[in-house]
Parts: sequence; structure tokens; C-alpha cells
Amino acid sequence: MTPAIPELEQIRDRFQRAVADVTSLDALRAVRNRFLNRTDGEATLAVKMIASRPADEKRAFGAAANALKKEIEDALAAREAALAAAAPATGAVDITLPGRVPLLGRRHPLTQVRERIEDIFVAMGYSVIEGPELEDDWHNFEALNMPPEHPARDMQDTLYLDARLPADARGRQASLLRTHTSGMQIRYMEAQAPPVRIIAPGRVYRRDNFDATHTPMFTQVEGLVVDEGISLGDLKGTLNAFAARFFDAAVKTRFRPSFFPYTEPSAELDVECQGCAGKGCALCKHTGWIEVLGCGMVHPAVFEAVGYDAERYTGFAFGVGIERLALRLYGIDDIRMFYENDLRFLEQLAP
Amino acid sequence: MKAPVSWLQTFVPVPASPAEVATRFGACGFAVESIEGDVIDLEITANRPDCLSIYGLAREAAAAFNLDLAAPPGTAAAVSGSTAPIKVSLGDAGCGRYALAVADVKVGPSPAWLADRLAAAGVRPINNIVDVTNYVMLELGQPMHAFDAARLAGPEIYVRRARLRETLTTLDGVARTLDETMLVIADRERAVAIAGVMGGAASEVSASTTRIALESAWFLPSTVRATSRRLGLKTEASARFERGADINAPVAALLRALQLFADIGAGTASGGVTDLYPRPVASRSVPLRRARLARLLGDEVPDTEVERMLGRLGFVVTSTDLGWTAVVPSFRVDVAREADLIEEVGRHWGLDRIPATFPALRAMPRPSDAGVARSRLIRRLLCGAGLQEAVTFTFMSGDAAGPFAAADDRLDIKNPLSEKFAVLRPSIVPGLVESLVYNRNRQAADVRLFEVGGVFSQARGERTAVGWVLTGSRGEHWSGSAGPLTFADTRGIADLIASTAGVAIDVAPGEDLPWLARGQRARLVDPTGVEVGWIGRLSIPALDGDAVFAGEVDLGALGGFSTAPRRIAALARHPSIVRDLSILVSERLPAADVRGTIRANAPPTLVDVREFDRYQGKGVPDGQVSVSVRLTFRAPDRTLTDAEAQQAVEAIVAALRTRHDAVLRGATGRISAE
Repeated sequence: MTPAIPELEQIRDRFQRAVADVTSLDALRAVRNRFLNRTDGEATLAVKMIASRPADEKRAFGAAANALKKEIEDALAAREAALAAAAPATGAVDITLPGRVPLLGRRHPLTQVRERIEDIFVAMGYSVIEGPELEDDWHNFEALNMPPEHPARDMQDTLYLDARLPADARGRQASLLRTHTSGMQIRYMEAQAPPVRIIAPGRVYRRDNFDATHTPMFTQVEGLVVDEGISLGDLKGTLNAFAARFFDAAVKTRFRPSFFPYTEPSAELDVECQGCAGKGCALCKHTGWIEVLGCGMVHPAVFEAVGYDAERYTGFAFGVGIERLALRLYGIDDIRMFYENDLRFLEQLAP
Repeated sequence: MKAPVSWLQTFVPVPASPAEVATRFGACGFAVESIEGDVIDLEITANRPDCLSIYGLAREAAAAFNLDLAAPPGTAAAVSGSTAPIKVSLGDAGCGRYALAVADVKVGPSPAWLADRLAAAGVRPINNIVDVTNYVMLELGQPMHAFDAARLAGPEIYVRRARLRETLTTLDGVARTLDETMLVIADRERAVAIAGVMGGAASEVSASTTRIALESAWFLPSTVRATSRRLGLKTEASARFERGADINAPVAALLRALQLFADIGAGTASGGVTDLYPRPVASRSVPLRRARLARLLGDEVPDTEVERMLGRLGFVVTSTDLGWTAVVPSFRVDVAREADLIEEVGRHWGLDRIPATFPALRAMPRPSDAGVARSRLIRRLLCGAGLQEAVTFTFMSGDAAGPFAAADDRLDIKNPLSEKFAVLRPSIVPGLVESLVYNRNRQAADVRLFEVGGVFSQARGERTAVGWVLTGSRGEHWSGSAGPLTFADTRGIADLIASTAGVAIDVAPGEDLPWLARGQRARLVDPTGVEVGWIGRLSIPALDGDAVFAGEVDLGALGGFSTAPRRIAALARHPSIVRDLSILVSERLPAADVRGTIRANAPPTLVDVREFDRYQGKGVPDGQVSVSVRLTFRAPDRTLTDAEAQQAVEAIVAALRTRHDAVLRGATGRISAE
């Protein structure tokens, strides 16, 4: 190692003291000027002194002087960067202030549940169809194996229209608010030959009291599958698949025999209550099960009403009440909340 | 139907655990409402009147548990002769069978076992005579009625239609006015009971009754149902008759009642049993094909199981080449065809045993209705635009509907639950207003709601519309408010919907839209002039002067929303020249007129006209407004020269001056003052 050169060591000391005191870019500029000025900077002069050194020292002195100058340049650059980083940026903002969020509405919970159901069935190859809420007696009742005076008409207390609306080509005149979406089965089968694989969502109406569990208007999704060889096993497989997608893959289901005039055999699908894992709680009325939907094999009388060959074709149908599922999904206990449109409720939903 | 397990056990040895019995009932189609002690409350579906009885439920339990069912309860009552000492005249098809016995009785309280059983099944004990009739109804499902024979005008009973405005005070003390559609039981002078529904108060069995006429009949379901509905009177009897009672039960039930009278010392028969059954009903035979059963259920049920289950349920089953023939017992009014038998087998085989399969998709599904995608798109569009989706009732009060529909075009509901739900909505907006007010009353300052759904009128029937309401600010923020909502915001929503639909819309005067404020209302029309909706500031009392802007678009009238991809115009290859103009015009001059004059006097190189400022105040004379417009010029085939743009702007300015007395305040580029 070359021995230290006292003149250069003194410059280094002075520089280090000077740079240590620097707190601003202006002061740094002065230090740069003092040591690196082209004409009389201390380090510049040291380099210029190389020529005046004795011949045998020139080489070592030259290397040391240039190294010192480089060291000072680097130290100044580092110091400048540090000062710049510490200085406030021009145009700085308070990044902790709230952002300007674009206004965003949310789809109504009944829409979200309905679309969730639609998406599941569309993935299984169903078409989504819509139909009239003002319905005639034929489509709402008679073609669904509910002739006049059929006791099952009592199951659905009907709201009637107080007006005479124009009749359709077959002389059928809308006279009531549909009590279920099942009429869409008839409308679709009248228009299309099998195979059929549809769901029909929509509003339905009953002359029901308005309370925590009943509303005079609610929302259903009707489903219908018709083809050769459709069995009750297919109904079970399809609705189990639906329940697994809608709730979760591990949900337990059961089918209970029931009665609907337009299906035979008829059944209801229950899923195990998720509130109590089937042990029984207030939510499931201590049964451990929650009713999800009504379903069954299409009654041959329905096929006969629409002109389908009831020997060749079989099918299944189901009807889901959206409000009931939505109550469970969102963990609320009053159906009226869906119709109040309280923003404090709606704004809690995912967009 | 409340079924005490101990009562069931008198006919079938089911397990003593109510929970175990209930589970089995649930699995074969009888939903369990509750279990209280020994009593299971079962929901009986409308097709199973036979199970509105303990014996009927015992039969189901016998099939479900595979147990033997005891014979029907004792019918060995002592009767003498072939008819009762009261003459019955039956001349109406509304009564298919009428059986009658007469008994000398001693009215008093029932023994405890009988009263307790009734109470357990939910029926209040009254006296031994009435209690026995109720007991037999619960046990066998056959409603009965006991008349005080001394209160009948003579030893005669007539089954006939009521006379118009004939009156009868029923057992519940209500005086009822009848009509010719209703079937009554009458004595020589007047109606004494409404057939199958309720007896009359005048001939009611009382403590002083010593002789009764005991009726056990079969009435036509539709007649009983219609009468019950017309009178608004539902009873245990009417519930059974209107669903369909067993036409072979009346005599057996009568004998059972007489036997119970004897057993408890309540009375003895006087004479025999009259049984009028003018047109006996033959039993039905229904075929059941083995292959069809397997195909519909998707499971192979062994023959022996099919025969066992149907046999236990009371069907008489014989084998055929293809399967079986089942003779349907008369109490099974619901079984008429093969599918009904398949349901019986499925129910008792167990739906849970049937393997779940997945139906094959054999053809490409048909497309969904176009309205589905349209509604989805509009919902997402408006949510993205900051409006919250609402769902409101499709019906409303006449008052709320009032301004939105002519009285003779309103679609009213004939039997509304209340005035609040009496009219089908002529517009979506009134329901949204109700929700808006609800939220305003809960301290929400900014409310923006929309709904997609049906609107109704007599003339145009049912249509699908989107409606919206907006109030408050455009959004408050620390960096500055965007200001209050104005007419331009509701117009913007309409324009957003129309441009999404791909339909050009324009405004037209809306002076005949009474629910909107004067000076801030417009109809929306398509390029052919067809009305597609309206926009404006609401002027309805419920809002109490709040600035609420609203609009509605009839989606059917609007059309558009084609799912075909839109053709893209070639992008301009030459630069455009932009010129801004500020002019002073009368504040009453519509912007559309200014725009029209500009377009009419511009060369085809004018590709866009856009208002970018309107100003009134300092420097602008009263009654005038400073309008700033931005003009964009571009030629499709070359770079436009400044001179060309200049020439065009000068022509435009000259026309504005001539047509509208416009005064030029300033312009970019050179505009000569003259």
C-alpha cells in the first residue's frame, strides 16, 4: 500500500468535515465548488500539482490525487441523492385522503339470487325464457291439470283483473295475475316441440297478507325438462347438482313426496339446515331441514293439454321461490326488507 | 291433521315413539308440522282427503312400516228393519249418497276416554251425541250431522237446492242468505242444514234432545266447494267433502256411530238405516306397466315390493303380461291413472332410494329470450352509472297511480287485499318515489334508484320498462362537489340507455305529462317520432318540493339492443380542426335550434357540434345567455386547411347572426367582426 500523502489527507479531512455539515442542496453546491471548481477547487489543484512533483513521486501522487477527486465526486453525488430524496416532492399529495370513488349501484338481492340460479342452469344447457305476468285461466290453471273447482286452486289465492283485455288468437283472455311461473311450461310447450330444457324466472302474485313471511308479490324460477326417457332419477341428479352449486358442494339434500296438480309423482327438495348442521334450530323449525323447492314428474294431463305425446315423452318440472332462498343466503328474517329498498341494506351487497 | 299415536295403534301396531312414526310419515309424503307428546300434526295435501282420518293414516302407516292393518272399527250396531223412520227425498245430483238413521238418545257428557281423544286431536268436546259424530269423522273421515228430530217439521227430510234468498242461521249463530247454487238439507218447511258445510242452529242437538236424525252422506266436491267459498265458511266437514269423501263410507260410518252410542250408553237406533244411493259408482281399474314404472322412476322396484305396497294401501292388484292392474279403492279419489300408481310405489319405495342420474343433453339448447340479456345489460349499465337497483310492488294505490294514468286506462285488481295494492302500476316511477321518500326519511341525502319490470294499462296491456329517480348531489367529495343533480342528469340516463340500445332518441315537448314540473319535462321520441318514454323533474305532492328527477323508457317501444356486433366505421386518417365559438343569444332559444342552424349552414366537413359552456351573469345582458360551442371539422380524404375551416366558421357565424340575432363574443382563430 502506498503511504498516505499528507497534503491529500488534509484535503480529504476538510472535505469530510465540510460535507458532514451540509443540509441543503445550496450548501452542497458550495462544497462542490470549493473542492471541484475547475480553476481553484482544492481537489482540482491537487491534481494540477502532479506535474510539479518529483519524478519518482509523480506516479503515486497522481494515482492518489485522482482517486481523491473521484472519491469526492462520488461522495457529493451520494449526498445530493440523499438530500433530494429527503426534500418534499413538488406537487406532492396527501395519499391518505379518501379517493374519489365513481358512484356505483348494486343489483338488488333478488336479482343477484335470480341470476345466480339462472347461471347454474344455463351452465347445464337450459334456456332462460320470460312470459306475461297477466295470465289467462288456461295457462295458469286449466292446462296445469287444475280445472275449475279443483281444490288445488285454493292453494294459491288468486288476484283477478277488473278489466276485459283483448283475447289472444285462441280466444284466451288474461284475467288474473299469474300465481306461479308454471304457466310458462304450457306457453313454451305450446310453441316448441321436445326436447325442452328451460327455466322461466319472474314475478308471481297471490292474495296473501303482507307480513314477515308473506308478500302479495314474490319471485319464482320455474324449470322444465322434457325428452324421451327423463326419469325421477334425472330430476334428483339435476336438483342435487343445483343445490351443490347454489349452497356448497357438500350440502345434504332429501326428496320428500308431496303434491302438485301438475306433477305426478311430486316431491319437495329439502337441504340440510346450514344454521345448525341438521341438528335443529329456530331457522329450520327444529327439523334440521329447509324446504328449497317443489318438483315432480310432469303430469301426463299437462302433456295432453299441450299436445305432447305423453307415452313417448316424460319430463320433470320444478319451481323455486327466490325470496326464501335469499332470506337464507343473506341471513335476514323479514321478507319485507326486499321491497323497502333501504339503501343501508342494499349498499351492503357485493356489486 | 292431528294424529295421536295411541289412536293409530288401535288399528296398526306402529312403534310407540312419535318421532319415529313422524319420520316415516314425512318420508312418504305427509309433512310433519309438529310433534307434541303423543300427537303428531301432519300436513295433509289436497289430494289426500282419505288421510284426513286416523284410519286413513293408519293405512299409510301399515304400508310404510309393512304392518297389518286392523279391519275397520265395529259396524255391528243393532238396527232393525231396512229404513229409518224418517223419509228422505233425494232429487239432486249434488248428493251422491244419503244415509240416515234415527236414534233415541240421552244427551250428556262423553266419557273421559272419548272426550280426551277428541281434545288430543284438536276438537272441543260438546256432548256425547255431537262428540260421537266428530269422533267418527276423525276416525273414518266421514263427516256426520245429528239433527234434533223433534225440531224438524215432520218426519221428512229433503235434499234440495236452496231457494233464492232463503235464509238459515247456522250453528255458529250467523244468519246466512242462500241461493239456488247451494245444496241444503230441509224439512217440509225450510232448510235445516247447508249440505256438507254446516247444520242449522234451530235443529241443533241440545240437552233436551231425546231423538236424533243422524245424517251420513256423500256430497259432490264441486258443489260443497262452491258453497263454502260463496259463504266464506270453511268447516271440518266441507274440507273433507270438497276434496272428495269416500262414497262407500256413509253407511259404515253411521253404523260405527250407532255402535259408539250403544257403547257409551248415549242412545239406541230406532228402526233401520236408510241408504239412498241412486247411481252406484263402479270401481276403477288402472293398469301399471312394469317398464313404465322403471322408466319414470329411474329405478327397478321388485315386483313383490310393488304388490306388497299397493296391497297395503288398499289396492287390489292382479298381475298382467306387462305388469299389473290395480283396482282403486273408493277412498282413493286421487288415483285415476298410471302415473298416480307410480307415485304410490315411489312414495313407499322411498324417493331417497332412487339413484340420482343426470339427463343427457341431446341437442343444442335454444337461445334464451332476448329480454333476459337486455335486462341484465341495463341492470349492469345503470349500477355502473351509480344507480341502485330497487324492486317495488307491481301494484299500488289508486292515489299513487293517479297522475300517471288516465282513469279509464288503469288496470285495476278486482279483489285487492287492500287499497294500497289496488291498481297495477302504470309506471315504475311511483313505486320508486315511495322507496326514495323512505330513504330520505332515514337521512339518505343522495338517492338514485332504478327498476326494470312490467308496467300495465288497459289499452297497451303489459310492457317492460326501465324507470329511475334521482335526488341530491352528483357526489360529495373533499376535493370539491360536482354540484346538485339537474335535468341534465336524468336526460343523461335516458341517453345512456338509448346509446346502449343503439337507438338515437330526441326530446319533444312534454306539456301533457302532469306528474312533471312545468319547464322541466320532456317526452322521449325515436327518429320516427314514436314515443319511447319521458324525463323530467317530478312534481308530485309526496316529494314536498324536493328536487327529484326521474325518467322512464318503454323497452319494447325503444327496440334496439341487438346482439349482432356493431359495424365499426373506419378511423379518421386525417387531422381535424377544432374551433370554439362564444355567442350571445336569447335565453329562451333552445340549444337544439342553435345546433340546427350551425349544421344547416356548415359544409359536410363539420363532424361534431358540442356545447361546452353556458353562462349567465356579469357581462351578459339580462334575458340573454352566452353559449360556447366547439366545432370540429374534418375531411375524410385530405388534411383540411385552416382557410377552409375559417370560411365555414364565418358562414356559420353569419347564419347565427341572421337567424337568432346572435352576437359573437369571441372565437378561436380569426373571425371577422363583420
